[in-house]
Amino acid sequence: MKIMNCPLNGPRNISEFAYGGEVKPVPAADAPTPDWADYVYYHDNQPGIVREWWLHVPTSYWFVAVRDVTSDKIIATYRPEEAPP
Amino acid sequence: MAALRKGFIDTGKIAPVLPALALADFSLKSRTGFKGSGAASWLAAQGLVLPDDPNQACTDAQGRMVARLSWGEFLLLGDFAGLEKAWSYESAPMCFPLPRQDSHAWIVVSGEVAPKMMAKICGIDLRPQVFPKGAIAQTSVARLNAIIIADQIGGRGGFHLLSDGSTSQYLWDCLVDAMLEFEGAPVRSEALSKETHGQTDAQG
Amino acid sequence: MTRLPAPWGQWIDRGQDISFTFEGRKITAHPGDSVASALLANGQRLIGRSFKYHRPRGIFSAAGWDANTLVQTGSKPNVNAERLLAVDGLSVSAVNYAGSLDRDWGRLVEKFSKLLAAGFYYKTFFTPRIAWKFWEPVIRHMAGLGRVDEKAPHAYYDKEYLFADVAVVGAGPAGLSAALEAARTGASVLLIDEEPEIGGSLNWARDGSDDLKNRVRAEKGIEILTGACVQALFDDNWLEIVKGNRLYKLRAKAVVAATGCYWLPMVFRHNDLPGVMLGSALQRLLRLWGVAPGKRAVVATANDEGYAVALDLADAGIEVAAISDLRPHRDEGRFAQEAGKRGMRILQGAAPFEAHEKNNRLASVDLVQAASGQFQERIDCDLLALSAGRIPASGLLSHAGAKFAHEAHMDLPSALPAHLFAAGSVNGRFSLASALADGALAGALAAKDAGFAAEIPPSVGRDALGVTHPWPIITHPKGMEFVDLDEDVQVKDIQASMADGYEHIQLLKRYSTSGMGPSQGKLFWPHVQRLMAKAKGVTPAEIGASTIRPPMGGETLGHLAGRAFEPVRLSAMHKRHLELGAVMMPAGAWMRPAYYGSDERAIDQEAKAVRDGVGLIDVSTLGGLDVRGPDAAVFLERLYTWTYAKLAVGRARYVLMCDQTGVVIDDGVAARLHEQHFYVTATTSGVDRVFRLMQWYNAQWRLRVDIAQVTSAYAAVNLAGPKARDVLARAGTDIDIKKEAFPYLGVRQGLVAGIPVRILRIGFVGELGYEIHCPAQYGEALWDGLMAAGQDFGIAPFGVEAQRILRLEKGHIIIGQDTDALTHPFEIGMDWAVKMDKPFFAGQAALRAHLEKAPVRKLVGFALENDKGPLPKECHLVIEKGDIAGRLTSVVRSPSLGRVIGMAFVKPEQAGLGNLFDIRVDGGAMVQARVVALPFYDPKSQRQEM
Repeated sequence: MKIMNCPLNGPRNISEFAYGGEVKPVPAADAPTPDWADYVYYHDNQPGIVREWWLHVPTSYWFVAVRDVTSDKIIATYRPEEAPP
Repeated sequence: MAALRKGFIDTGKIAPVLPALALADFSLKSRTGFKGSGAASWLAAQGLVLPDDPNQACTDAQGRMVARLSWGEFLLLGDFAGLEKAWSYESAPMCFPLPRQDSHAWIVVSGEVAPKMMAKICGIDLRPQVFPKGAIAQTSVARLNAIIIADQIGGRGGFHLLSDGSTSQYLWDCLVDAMLEFEGAPVRSEALSKETHGQTDAQG
Repeated sequence: MTRLPAPWGQWIDRGQDISFTFEGRKITAHPGDSVASALLANGQRLIGRSFKYHRPRGIFSAAGWDANTLVQTGSKPNVNAERLLAVDGLSVSAVNYAGSLDRDWGRLVEKFSKLLAAGFYYKTFFTPRIAWKFWEPVIRHMAGLGRVDEKAPHAYYDKEYLFADVAVVGAGPAGLSAALEAARTGASVLLIDEEPEIGGSLNWARDGSDDLKNRVRAEKGIEILTGACVQALFDDNWLEIVKGNRLYKLRAKAVVAATGCYWLPMVFRHNDLPGVMLGSALQRLLRLWGVAPGKRAVVATANDEGYAVALDLADAGIEVAAISDLRPHRDEGRFAQEAGKRGMRILQGAAPFEAHEKNNRLASVDLVQAASGQFQERIDCDLLALSAGRIPASGLLSHAGAKFAHEAHMDLPSALPAHLFAAGSVNGRFSLASALADGALAGALAAKDAGFAAEIPPSVGRDALGVTHPWPIITHPKGMEFVDLDEDVQVKDIQASMADGYEHIQLLKRYSTSGMGPSQGKLFWPHVQRLMAKAKGVTPAEIGASTIRPPMGGETLGHLAGRAFEPVRLSAMHKRHLELGAVMMPAGAWMRPAYYGSDERAIDQEAKAVRDGVGLIDVSTLGGLDVRGPDAAVFLERLYTWTYAKLAVGRARYVLMCDQTGVVIDDGVAARLHEQHFYVTATTSGVDRVFRLMQWYNAQWRLRVDIAQVTSAYAAVNLAGPKARDVLARAGTDIDIKKEAFPYLGVRQGLVAGIPVRILRIGFVGELGYEIHCPAQYGEALWDGLMAAGQDFGIAPFGVEAQRILRLEKGHIIIGQDTDALTHPFEIGMDWAVKMDKPFFAGQAALRAHLEKAPVRKLVGFALENDKGPLPKECHLVIEKGDIAGRLTSVVRSPSLGRVIGMAFVKPEQAGLGNLFDIRVDGGAMVQARVVALPFYDPKSQRQEM
């Protein structure tokens, strides 16, 4: 089982985490429908390095992970209020 | 009013003498919590000594435990009624009390073999050399979310387990099952109380 | 039972006799015996029958490396007798025979072996096509090992996590050395071995000793786990280990794989007969269990270790008729020299060509000149030891994604992933000296990798020992030279598969089934690789290695299931429900009373009690969330569809949550307890998701708000019915509960029966109702107080079933029952709860898009035209002109209205009041329903505001 480093709880088994989708810029509230449709429905799903929301379930703590989806290597994790490393 | 309180655990058969591995229900003992981005500064202003980092616990002069669960969340084990009285929305901005007395059951495990027993239901390394007194793990125990705090309990190593009150009977039964091979058994809370928080077993 | 004298048989306790049965026959054994060693000691060479041809099989590796000795013990099928400790009273039976083990008529299959060539599944039995229907059950009956006992009792299995700085897999010389070296640095070391004792080949090889084992046992930093099979090595050094009925999950910072090697057998006709075995098997039988498995032996070898076997046999008093050395030139190794000095008969350049069978076992062997194939001689013997070289046991390295290079006729690890180290013979270091040195190096490297200060000893190269023959294969015109004992694969099957075009190892493996058995081809894979290379005209390196996958040994579903933890949530009033005779039902992880009493007629009575008098239901399972802070109202406005900024303190309002696609995902009530505090309820099953979403949104919005999940902190009941206020007054409260002082949708905090409570005046069931929430530890006291106070008013506890009727009579929806994964608020008549003119709320953009499109369905209330006919059920389809037009979401026979009512999704054009539509019920009959106005009961909703 993989280990993921939670910014709050440290390294933990991946089974303690839940995936929350890619980190994407949210459109303005009054943005046109196509922009919202793009945000809600369209997923890039490209190989390479992505930023993702992950939840540490026992603490309900959300953070951001930088992951290479081709190698499944977790490159970094950080608190959402911090600047990406 | 406090007399109307009731824990949720049917402890089953109680061991007459303290076994090498013991389990007790502390659920009727006092505890509370505070949470929010202003929690640390308000609690400090009330004179509480706080651990510097999340997932650490320290014990104060009265034997009460202050467990820091995150940058802005604190679990307080022991009698902190004074703090609860002092609190108000106005005096404690972005600091909010948590109903830990009722949301979480409080179970303690005591005995040097406790880490080995816990390893049957929890995937965190709880051996004393890596998880010493005052260490906290918020993790999954027998598929429940739980807070584990290492402490000296009953004069020996042990853990405080805090987890959802509604599943406390289930957790208790899992612990009793896991303890069998170590000949562990439930005991009355008094059997483990004296050395822990210096408080009597008065309810509430 | 005959045994060799000590020091042979160091694992058995000769002082004690135990016994078990095999095929009904009593077998005497000593503690320490494996079932296989005890069988052999009792003269039972034939232990099982082969998978395909039902050929006689016995001990081949004596180490559990093949499937020859799979047996059944009670309800456990496919237990390896070589790995199964003999215990008193055990009942063991052989598998896969018809008639008797000695006279298996299933062996007739061998006569038709031409029909069963590689790929026979796909070819032979498919002409004509219908033929497979006949043959499949026959083949399935004939093949397959063991028997599943459907009445097997549940056994106690569990799991345990283990942790180590350095895990060393394999306690042979290299593993012991690695463990010592790593422990020297202060690292915590876990040493794991599948044998009952540490030592590996030190226990059974000719030059074994106890010194190293004793040093390891004395080392405090080393924890030893024996009798434990490492099944797999997963990501980040996560090891799965099985020992007895326990599955261990080990996390190690660094892993040393000192997994050793298997001895490479030879391939010739009838190389599977009982009596033909690996040289190491003989040494194990002699030294570990003191079993002399025969009287006259031939040793076929291609290296010096074979000579050690011959010397051991001679020392144990077994006649060595000849040593057949495949190589043309004399071995200069020390064992070969000693054999020469002792005057043993050495046949240089000779190879076994065919083994002959008598009474299901080896009787003689024909030797040929390896170079020319010319017949040399026939030797009578009951033992034939094989030593053609080594196969590194690289399974775990393979799991971890190691790379291998083909050198010295072996696949040796060439590149390992981080935090993983190989040592000893798996790493090509075969002599004791080089294995020890390689182990020390790996142990030091692993400790350093795990963060300990370690001195790194020098590395050692490979030495001459462990010579592996390039072509230990002697084909026979009549075939039956096996290259897979598990699956009865012959040389010709490999050749035929290649001829059929399956030239890639992964394809050939599946087509020929070579390597698809329980042992994953671990003993014969090098032969298959060589045969493929020859047929293709390439080198074995170009063929590559087959992938070895977890698990390495046997594991049962019980191991995987463990204790099967299934959390159960109980409310504070659970015991009271049981005392009242409640029939409990699961609601997510919660247990809730379905109804009270012995039969379902109680449900209507409970519903009636609420309508006519007063009832009490435990609603503790409702989700509870404290949303607090200066921005609490702003936060709710962004999250839910309605508005909350102007909601007064002391008032409650419905909440409806959509996801970003506009789909309804939860509902509940927000009660404003303070300018900065909303107590928000959520559905029982939805609260965890709602809480997560709240946290996720605020991780982005960063409003001045704090969210706490308080579901379990509060016990809650709904006191409902026209007499609810009377009961509350009787229970005693400091809250002014007069209608004007505490109106519908009001929220109050105070005391009831001396207990601190939050009361919400809301009415899911459509009667005067008080939803009373109190700290959970007071829950039982609150229940008792209200039940006592209600006694004079005929209070009745009611369960989930009655509540479902009552809420449906009121036309209240249940999210997840009356909605699905595509339902948006406008389809279910929730327009009133959606404020599209707010600046923003979750799902608003999607709902805007929905409003621009024509609606596709509508949730309506209906009443059945004829109650006497067949009754529709939830999810029955609404049919229009033969096509599906919708479905029922809820349906009950309403005791208050005396008719069958429900809710259904229909097409918008069918949704008009008074419209008739058809429902197809079980069995295909059609019933008619009429669209009626919601709510069905108390249409003006006066009763809840009483």
